[in-house]
Parts: sequence; structure tokens; C-alpha cells
Amino acid sequence: MTRTAALLGILGILPAAGAGCATEDAAPDAAGTYPHAVVTFVTHSSPGGGSDVFLRAMASRLGPRMGVDFVVENVTGGGGARAMSRVANAPPDGSIFYAATPSFIFTSLLSRPANTYADLDPIVNVFLDQEVVYTRAESPFETLGDVIRKARSGAGRWGAASPGSLERQALERLARAADVEAAIISHDGGGDLILNVLNGTLDIGVGEAQEIRGQLDTRRLRLLAVFSAARLPGLPAVPTVAESGYEVVVTKFRGLTGPPGTPPDIVRAWEHAVRDLLADPEYREVYSGAMLSAAYMPRAEFSVFLEAFATDTETFLRESGVID
Amino acid sequence: MMEAVVDGLGMLVTTPIALAAGGGVAWGILGGALPGISPSISMALLLPFTYGMEPHSAIVLLAATYVGAEYGGSIPAILIHTPGTNAAAATLLDGYPMKLQGRGGEALGISLYSGVIGGFIGLLVLMVLTRPLADLALRFTPMSYFALGVLGLGVIASLAGPSLLKGLAAVLLGLMVATVGSDPVSGVPRFTFGQPDLLDGVAPILVMVGLFAVSELFLQASREVWNRASSASARIRWPGARMRRRLLKPQLIGSAVGTVEGVIPGAGGTIAAFLSYNEARRWSRAPEEFGRGSPEGIAAPETANNAVAATALVPLLSFGIPGSNSAAVLLGGFLVHGLLPGPQLFDENADAVVGLYTGLFVANLSLLVIGGAALPVCLWLVNRPRPILMAFIYALILSGIYSINGSLFDLGLTLAAGMAGVVLRVLGFPLLPAVLGVVLGSLVESNYRRSLLLSGGAHSIFLEDPAAVVLLSIAALLVSGSVIARIRSGSKQEHA
Repeated sequence: MTRTAALLGILGILPAAGAGCATEDAAPDAAGTYPHAVVTFVTHSSPGGGSDVFLRAMASRLGPRMGVDFVVENVTGGGGARAMSRVANAPPDGSIFYAATPSFIFTSLLSRPANTYADLDPIVNVFLDQEVVYTRAESPFETLGDVIRKARSGAGRWGAASPGSLERQALERLARAADVEAAIISHDGGGDLILNVLNGTLDIGVGEAQEIRGQLDTRRLRLLAVFSAARLPGLPAVPTVAESGYEVVVTKFRGLTGPPGTPPDIVRAWEHAVRDLLADPEYREVYSGAMLSAAYMPRAEFSVFLEAFATDTETFLRESGVID
Repeated sequence: MMEAVVDGLGMLVTTPIALAAGGGVAWGILGGALPGISPSISMALLLPFTYGMEPHSAIVLLAATYVGAEYGGSIPAILIHTPGTNAAAATLLDGYPMKLQGRGGEALGISLYSGVIGGFIGLLVLMVLTRPLADLALRFTPMSYFALGVLGLGVIASLAGPSLLKGLAAVLLGLMVATVGSDPVSGVPRFTFGQPDLLDGVAPILVMVGLFAVSELFLQASREVWNRASSASARIRWPGARMRRRLLKPQLIGSAVGTVEGVIPGAGGTIAAFLSYNEARRWSRAPEEFGRGSPEGIAAPETANNAVAATALVPLLSFGIPGSNSAAVLLGGFLVHGLLPGPQLFDENADAVVGLYTGLFVANLSLLVIGGAALPVCLWLVNRPRPILMAFIYALILSGIYSINGSLFDLGLTLAAGMAGVVLRVLGFPLLPAVLGVVLGSLVESNYRRSLLLSGGAHSIFLEDPAAVVLLSIAALLVSGSVIARIRSGSKQEHA
């Protein structure tokens, strides 16, 4: 997990660095109205990890807009359990937030820590990260259908980066939708997974598109499908998994949650700030380059989304016998 | 290639690369020497500062930090029985006995000298053999990783100390500790007792620092050694001509092992250090000195882990896949400046690659200079009166461990490992196999289970993978060789 996170994050640092000069002259439309001069973002990822970079990139642009100094605090360990408990027990005054990704739901369900996702207030969602299915350039598979046909003979070998992850779940769901049995192998991080796809140990791997950008550019890996609901603007030639005939859609969200009881005016300030930020054309260029899709969801919508996500995941984990 | 090197040397004059290399090394030594601050954390701490830097200097700064940190870990290993990094644990086996014999300055000199040699050899290999070595990295399947882990555990057969049985008991203890945390296949928590701090497992560095350093402090406090005056001079001693000849063989072994292990993503410096230590002992003319202060026992692992620092860049430069956490941070350094490591880097940004090579070259040179300047200070520090020194070491260890995650739980774990270390040492169990068990446990377990998932449960899959067959055969040879040697020397002693 750590290596995937690091790799991911690092790819995301690119926008952070590019942001440096652009923020200087951004118009501070709401500057000074936020009740705190310093706001803490808590993340479970280590410096340079996925959420860490997401937060730092966003903070460098939101800072001048909101007139707030942002501090990113890396509370690592326990698959996010320590970070969750740090925020769940903090004062709900808008001075501290937690960067939520699917892993906070997975950890809550798998490990049952003292504070779970249910102890945090959804604030606003920012992005969706797209999961893609890839294979090595010289593999015999031209479509996802070819991969499934091989799995039907009982010899499918599919890979995901880590055990309790959305990618793993995506593959399990795909196998179920196609009614095949495939060996689904999880790894210690994205690096191992990519190597095992490159050396032919695995038929396919699943991960975020930005993780394999280098291999795609040099044509060592090919994309077979995306797990999104519709084709991606950046990858118009790649079909969705659903188009390939298997009704599986998987969404990796990146949003903010806060301590329970965060007041409505604070939530509103964040809804406005994030909505405006995502519309900024310069920022849009940066995040679409990193294959992130803007997915602004205000609190009401985000709560429903998270609730559904958690129920889905729980049902899935229960059905596959991982939890009881 | 020659032309590129000349160009590279030219860059030294025109850009502040030399400054970056020197600064990175100094920072790396400091981070490496602090227990708990790993090479990758030292690098990650610097990463934000490189955003505004010129790309070549930024990359050199990070790579130099890596070089410095891999070396820095050996300083506390030799002086205070505390491995500053995972890979330095093997250095402690002979470094600390040398320090106790008043030869601390000599031990530090040997470790620095060997580290620099390992760094240069690794760099040479990186420059000349990146492409063929990349093919080797690509051959590593889960089956091969399992075999590699078994090979690492095989070292125990010869390093278990006087009793093989006690050695096996210790390795089992280590393997048991390695099973704590999330299951590598299902993600379900195992043996965590509802404690969220245990979900990520027990970090090997906590166990190492506890078993080696804390137990040493506990035992020292209860022994006469407390009062023994430290008369060693605060001067670093470079190996003389005869010693340099003697160190040639272990250094050769260290560079060979380090080169290969570095290239394999995820294998890393720790396995390299232990394997090369073991081989250096096997091929040494004075194997009985090992564990009692053999200079060769310092040279081999130190050459190996510094060679790893260079060759770990092979998978990064050839596929853009970081082979270690440190390489992952370096990848960040590349991407921040719009450079995408991978085969295309050599064509599109050859100057960045040459800049990196040059930077590593200068970093190894500065390691010699900066290391040489820093060591007398460290020696002076450890020659302070015992009570002050002991307090200082406790503070150093505990603050280092605390700074990893800011977790009091980690501190408790380290102290508990220290208590366990005292018990093991008093009962005559060797510590090394326990540490190897913790380090290699998850590598062996997760790849074993992955392999069986791939084969649908058939063990024959290990025999179908060429790299696994080679590694398992070597492991079988090493273990049977050690066991036979053990039986022979045992019967010799009976006759004597």
C-alpha cells in the first residue's frame, strides 16, 4: 500500500509544483471571511503519498482564495485508523479536516477501529480517480472479453495493488459479473504489480491510470478498459468495463470529512470554495493532466454517496466471506 | 559513454551540483545515523525543498541523501549497538565488538572506506549495465521472491551461533512477530488484539532497535562494564595497506551481492547486507573472528548496502518503477521537474541521467570527506562519561523511534522488544535470527501465498520458475554446507 501511495502521490506532486507560481496572483475572492487563520488537513498517507499530494496541491490554491494557511498533518499507521481517530476527536469548529478515500471505509469495515467513517461528517467531495484495466504490450489479449475467455478455462491470473482495496474489489466484482473464477493476486504496492504484468505472470492489472503513465507512453502496457461509468475524455478509445459487457462501475473518491457536528456555515464555505476551485481553468488543466475527474459533491450529496459506498462495500465483503 | 562522463564533469563547474551532492550527503548521514529516520524519510523531508530548485541539482540532492543515509546507519551500529537503518543491522555484529575493544575509530574508518568503495562500484555497474540488469529485475515473479526470502533465511544456518536449535527457535519467534498485522492476501487483521497501531504490522526497525540497542542498555546498566573507563582515542583510523588487501575479498563479495539485490525491486539493502556478511565469513581466512570484531565483517555489509543505493536506481531508470521506498521518493523528485523515468529518459533527457551519475560520483567523494570530518565528533560523543552517554543514547533512540509515526505505542513496542532481547541474551539465544525472521517473514509468506494462488495450490510452480529454482538451489547448498561444517567442527571439538 505504501508504495502505491508514494507512487501515486509523486505523480500528483507535478501539479503541486506547477501551482507554485500561479497561486501568487489568484484573486482572493473570499479572503478573510473564514473563521480560522490556520486550518489543518489530516491525512493517513505519508509525505509524498496520494492523499498528501492531493491536499498539498489543493491547499496551495485554496490558501489565497480562502485567506487561510493550510497545514498538512501526516498521521500515518493503522490503515488510516489513527488519522480518523485524530479528527473524530477534534473540536468541530472548521479548523481540522480529514482527506477521505475509499481506504477509510475499507479500514473501518475490515479492522473495526474505535473511530470509523461513521464518526466523521462528510463535508465535500472533490475528485474521482479512474481505475483502468491494463495488460502488457505483447500479451495476446485485445479486449477485456479475451481476458474473460481465458479465465473461463480456469487459468485467469489478475492482479491488484493491495489486499483491502478498491482495485481488489473491482476485480472480484468483474469475476462475479462475468461468472468466471480467476486467481486474484494482491501485492505490496503498485510497483510489484506492474512488474508482474510486464513479465507475464499476470494477465491483467488494475490501477489508477496515472500510475502507469510511463509504461503507457513507452507502449510497454496497453489499456483494455476503464471502470468508470462513461469513457474518459482523456482516453476516448478505451471502452468502459460496462460497454465490454460486464456491469461493473467502480469509483475512487477523494473528498473532505470533518469532526462530527461541523456547523453548516463552515460546510457551506467549503462547498463554495471547492466548487469555485474546480472551475478554475488553470487548475483544471493540472488535474486533468493527472487523469483526475472533477466531481464536486456538496455535503448532502456526498453523505448519500458515502453511505451507499459503505453499504455496497460491506455487502460485498460479507458476501465474499472476508467479514462476518 | 566517455564523452558523457567528460560532459558530466563539466557540469560540476557550471552548476551547483557539487554543493547539492555535499549537502545531500551531510543530511543523509545525519538522518541515517538517527535510529528510526530511514533513508526514505530523510529524502522525503527534503523533497518539498527541491520544488524550486534547478532539476539536476534537485535530483542529485536526493540521490546524495540516499548515499549518505545508507552509510550513516552504520555509525550508531558500531558505536552504540543501534542500527540507524535496517541495512546497518549486519554491521553491528562486528562493529560493536570492535568498539568495545577500543577499536571504534578503526571500525568507523573501515565502514566509511568500504561504503565509498561499494558506492563507486555500484555507480559503475549502474552506468554500464543498466539495461541487462533491468532484464534481471523483470524476471522476478512471486515465486522468485519467495525463493529469495528462503535464501535470506538460510543465512541462519551459519549465523545461529553455537546452538542451531536455539537459532531456529529465535527465527521462529521473528517469523511469528512478522505475522502480526493485516493479512497480505485478504487484508483481515491478524493478532492485532483490536489495537489499530498493530494493523500495519510491527516495523522491523522497532524490533532491531529494541533487541539490539535497548537490551544492550539494560544489560550494561546491570554490569561492571558500567564503570569501565573508555580510553579509546577520538580519532578515526583509516585502514593501512595490509588491511586494505585483507578487505578486498569481503568488499568484492559485498559489491556483487549488493549489485544483484539492489536491482531486484523490493529486496533492498537488508538482505544484501546479511547475505554478504555470511558469504564474507564463509570465504574468510579467519572466520572465527566474525562476531568478535572482524574488520571483514564490517567491510562486506557496508560495501553491499552502499552498492544497493546505486543499483536500486536500475528499475527506476529503466521502467520508472521504484525498487524501494527511497527510490519512490527519488521518482517524486524526477516527476516534480517534469522528468518521467523510464527508457525514454535516456533518449529525451540524457543530460538528466548524466547529471544523476555525476551527482552520485561527487556524493561518494563527499561521503569520504564529510564522513571523515563527522566521525571524530561521534567518537568524542561516545567517549563521554557513562551516565551521560547512557542518558544520551536513551534520548536518541526514543526520540528517533517516536518521530517515525509520532506514536507512543511504538515506543512501548521498542522497549518490550528490549526486554525480550534481555531475556533472549541471558538464555543464550542469538538475536540475529529473530531479526531476520521479522525482516523476511512477510516477504516469504506473502509471496508463497501469491505463488500458490497463481498455481491453484500446486507447489510445482516453484520448480517451473527458473529464477526460483536457481535461488532455492543456492539456498539448499548454503544450508547443507553450513550444517556439514557445523557437524564436522562439532566432532572435532569432541575429539580435542
